[in-house]
Amino acid sequence: MTRLAVCTKLKRGKAQWIGWAAIALTGGICGAIGLSSPNSWATEVDQIVLQAQAERIAVIRKVAPAVVAVCRQGGQGVGSGVLISPEGYALTNFHVVQPTGPILQAGLPDGVLYDAVVVGIDRVGDVALIKLLPKQEGKPFPYVPMGDSDKVRIGDWSLAMGNPFSLALDFTPTVTYGIVSGTNRYQPPEGRGLLEYTDCIQIETSINPGNSGGPLFNMQGELIGINGRGSFEKRGRVNSGVGYAISINQIKNFLGHLHAGLDVDHATLGAIVQTAGDDAPLSQMVIGQILEESDAYRRGLRPGDQLVSFAGRVITSTNQYKNILGIFPKEWRVPIVVRRNNERMEMLVRLMGSLPQSKEGGQVKQPESGKPPVPVPVPAKEPKSMPASPAAQFYKPKAGYANWYFNELERDKLLTAFRQHGDFAALAGNWTLQGTYQRGEQKGPFRCDLLVQGEEPLVKMVLNASYELAPLKTSDPALLREPIGSGGLMLALYHYQRLLTIGPKGFEGECSHAGHEPCYPFPLDGSVPASLAELRVDCAVLRTKHGATECKWYFNRKDNRLLAFEVYVTRDQDPCEVYCHDYKAVDGRWLPHRLEVRHGDRRYAVISIEQYQFHKDKP
Amino acid sequence: MKGTPISRWLLGSGLGVVLLGVGGVLSASAADPFHEVAEKANRKLVKIFGAGGFSRLNNFGTGIIVSPEGHILTVASQLLDTPDLVVHLYDGQRLRAQVLVIEPELDAALLKIRVEGKRPDEPAGLELDYFDIEAAAQRPRAEVGDWVLALSNTFEIALRDEPLSLQRGVVMAYTKMAGRRGIFEFPYTGEVYIVDAITNNPGAAGGALLDRKGNLLGIIGRELRNTLSDTWMNYAIPVQAAVEIKVREPVKDKEGRVSEQERTVHISLVEFVKKGVRGEYKPVSRPQTVVGEGGWHGIIFVPNVLERTPAYVEDVVPGSPAAKAGLRPDDLISFVDGEPIVSIKAFQDWIRKNTRPGMTIRLEVRRGEALQTVELTLASPPPRPQPPRPTPAPPKAADAKTETPAPKK
Repeated sequence: MTRLAVCTKLKRGKAQWIGWAAIALTGGICGAIGLSSPNSWATEVDQIVLQAQAERIAVIRKVAPAVVAVCRQGGQGVGSGVLISPEGYALTNFHVVQPTGPILQAGLPDGVLYDAVVVGIDRVGDVALIKLLPKQEGKPFPYVPMGDSDKVRIGDWSLAMGNPFSLALDFTPTVTYGIVSGTNRYQPPEGRGLLEYTDCIQIETSINPGNSGGPLFNMQGELIGINGRGSFEKRGRVNSGVGYAISINQIKNFLGHLHAGLDVDHATLGAIVQTAGDDAPLSQMVIGQILEESDAYRRGLRPGDQLVSFAGRVITSTNQYKNILGIFPKEWRVPIVVRRNNERMEMLVRLMGSLPQSKEGGQVKQPESGKPPVPVPVPAKEPKSMPASPAAQFYKPKAGYANWYFNELERDKLLTAFRQHGDFAALAGNWTLQGTYQRGEQKGPFRCDLLVQGEEPLVKMVLNASYELAPLKTSDPALLREPIGSGGLMLALYHYQRLLTIGPKGFEGECSHAGHEPCYPFPLDGSVPASLAELRVDCAVLRTKHGATECKWYFNRKDNRLLAFEVYVTRDQDPCEVYCHDYKAVDGRWLPHRLEVRHGDRRYAVISIEQYQFHKDKP
Repeated sequence: MKGTPISRWLLGSGLGVVLLGVGGVLSASAADPFHEVAEKANRKLVKIFGAGGFSRLNNFGTGIIVSPEGHILTVASQLLDTPDLVVHLYDGQRLRAQVLVIEPELDAALLKIRVEGKRPDEPAGLELDYFDIEAAAQRPRAEVGDWVLALSNTFEIALRDEPLSLQRGVVMAYTKMAGRRGIFEFPYTGEVYIVDAITNNPGAAGGALLDRKGNLLGIIGRELRNTLSDTWMNYAIPVQAAVEIKVREPVKDKEGRVSEQERTVHISLVEFVKKGVRGEYKPVSRPQTVVGEGGWHGIIFVPNVLERTPAYVEDVVPGSPAAKAGLRPDDLISFVDGEPIVSIKAFQDWIRKNTRPGMTIRLEVRRGEALQTVELTLASPPPRPQPPRPTPAPPKAADAKTETPAPKK
């Protein structure tokens, strides 16, 4: 398996020869298109054929303007891409932008070479998001809609477009046409765990060096994949009838991360999943070893458990497992079903990262000892200095990020939208929350004082007993997790108020956009859902760090309302999860009046807040 | 999609105009018929796993189920040369299989799925979907220009219940085979379909070439180069494949004297499968005409790409007579025992006609500017890639009338 970026080592003579052949072929196709002219041939052709042909040509004409020729600064072609939004966001392969660095150029079929910048990268999945800069501010780019790659079937027709062999100097895309040879294909990583193609689409549609990063369309002109690899062997690095496209549904899972300028990581379960009895006629997938620090272990997964389904997909082979695992970003929660002693169990598992852990809250990356650091697009140190690109102003380097500029951009966009539900900046001061709590059969009054105006912030809580916490002074995890069993509710509310009143400035450790994740709010009435999957709400995530505490904030992508937040006293233990229900306006600002507090797999309590008090002075 | 007109590429003579006759299939909204065809055919094919996995020899391939009892037709590759043959069915079942009989002249092998506790000649009780090869052979063959589909485990992409890879193409030619595999001429010389899709990749051999409706047209062949052009061929052996072979057999006359007699044998793929399933097929045995017969020298020549490629040494096999005689890469063999040698072919013909193991020959070799004389004692050829032999049947099957393999020379 080989990637399909243009090979600069390709002998010039050979490339030219292939080039000429292609031009000759193009001529042939032009001949066919010319059928509309009066011609004795045309009359013999079945009307339905001509109609089909016309439809195909129309689809190609519709999508072609959005096909990108990805170039180095200076215009040398390195691969292909496709625009997915009028603002100029385009998808390509990571291995295409790897050699260009973060500042690059991109040609469109209008013949214009645009300046562009790398926004986000997915090194494992071989995807990159870039942004083209319009020549006139605000001028929309042509773009294509994304399809549903789960609906693609073996035998479907497909169109691949791009700039193979950097053939088109005016960036007119080359179109190839063929069928889907297979779906849900697995192709192992190409080295150091990178460029792993999971759940990908296998095509016979011809793709060649330079097609990398280019779009695969269905016959409705919807984007179903990003072409990136092929199986080659003895016949050289040209199409051998077996190419692979990264499915667009996988990319959709990562798109929020990519927009947020992240250097994203894929997921592992934290457990080895094995085929039980490889000699048996039918195989079963069984948990082998499991990391004790994994969330899966804390959720109760144990060696010997049979993995029945993962994220809703039934698992009967190693490839199927790798396929489904590979489409999720790190830290996503997915429902899994296991069977143990004929008992079926469903659990919601947070996935771990697949790349070696090297980043902690945006700190400097430590390269693996003994291994060279994994290449990421860093400013290429060109011996000849390139003219300063206008794209450079949209690039901010930061360790752990592909482009910090876009993280700030997306973060601020998210927080601005969030503030539409209420601006609490003027209410920075002590707060008191009053109401009742229910814990199992137990009920009683609830009160929480958030005293942030003194020398040292202090949280006081009455919930069955009285608690007190100095959130910044205390370092004992057991105290930080009080009330006992909540995972740290006092700490959580302290951070919640800080987010509302101070915003990003209140989180000196980190305040970043963490991409998109699903969130699973449980029914407030305590009923057991038929399946965890039906609870799923797609959220945009904000990650913060203040003092020693990390939090994740889940905003419903539909209305940007805060749906839930998680507070981690320590990273290797379950967080305190707070789900916000029953939003009501308080002085024109929307606040939740019912909070479900969860820890581990259990509900800790439901708190009904009857009154929020904002004190200008100490109470 | 029933009732779709048979589709084909019409190649306009002077215009080079390409027209599609696929009736509505291309229409963006139309249902896609390939999916159903592929799904049905996929149930009648197996993934085969066997010997290999080293030096570019694949340990994976494809096979066609030709009986509900689990008889499998595939190509006679080295893959089968193991007692631990395994097949994966479309539903993910992993089962053992054994080779029943092989016919190198058709490059065909017949396997049978081994069911625990059943003899090969007993009904296996499998009731698999299968291709009726006899019926397939009675259908007219595909014409040049017809659309075809290929279904195979190319590049071992599929395992267990993962479906095989589907490709689509056009029959470019229906012609006599002229292929080589490395330096060996390919035994099958009958007719083949040549297609424009790159169907013959690693693991694809034994896959199915189908028409648009999913009817079996042929068996996808191996990765072979065309002897004439040295290009890779994408071919399939048609289900109608039949060859006539002249075999020399020892015949005893009335007085008990033995003489050789030539006899023409007609063999066909259908007959191979039909008789093979009943355990009645007897492979044709004849000495194979392969480059390299006669005494063995161990010279590896440069690729024989021209009509008269000069006999340049590319390499010598370590420990071979050529190595012992001190031949080196880039030596040009100019004379053998005084006979001028104009090409690789001439040298090989001479060796085949005039030598046998144990003989010493004298070579005049041009090395740089000078002519050197080299004495070379020919040896017996080392084992070369053999068509695989049927797997030893399980002990219980000793009474079964399975055929013994073709005797080795």
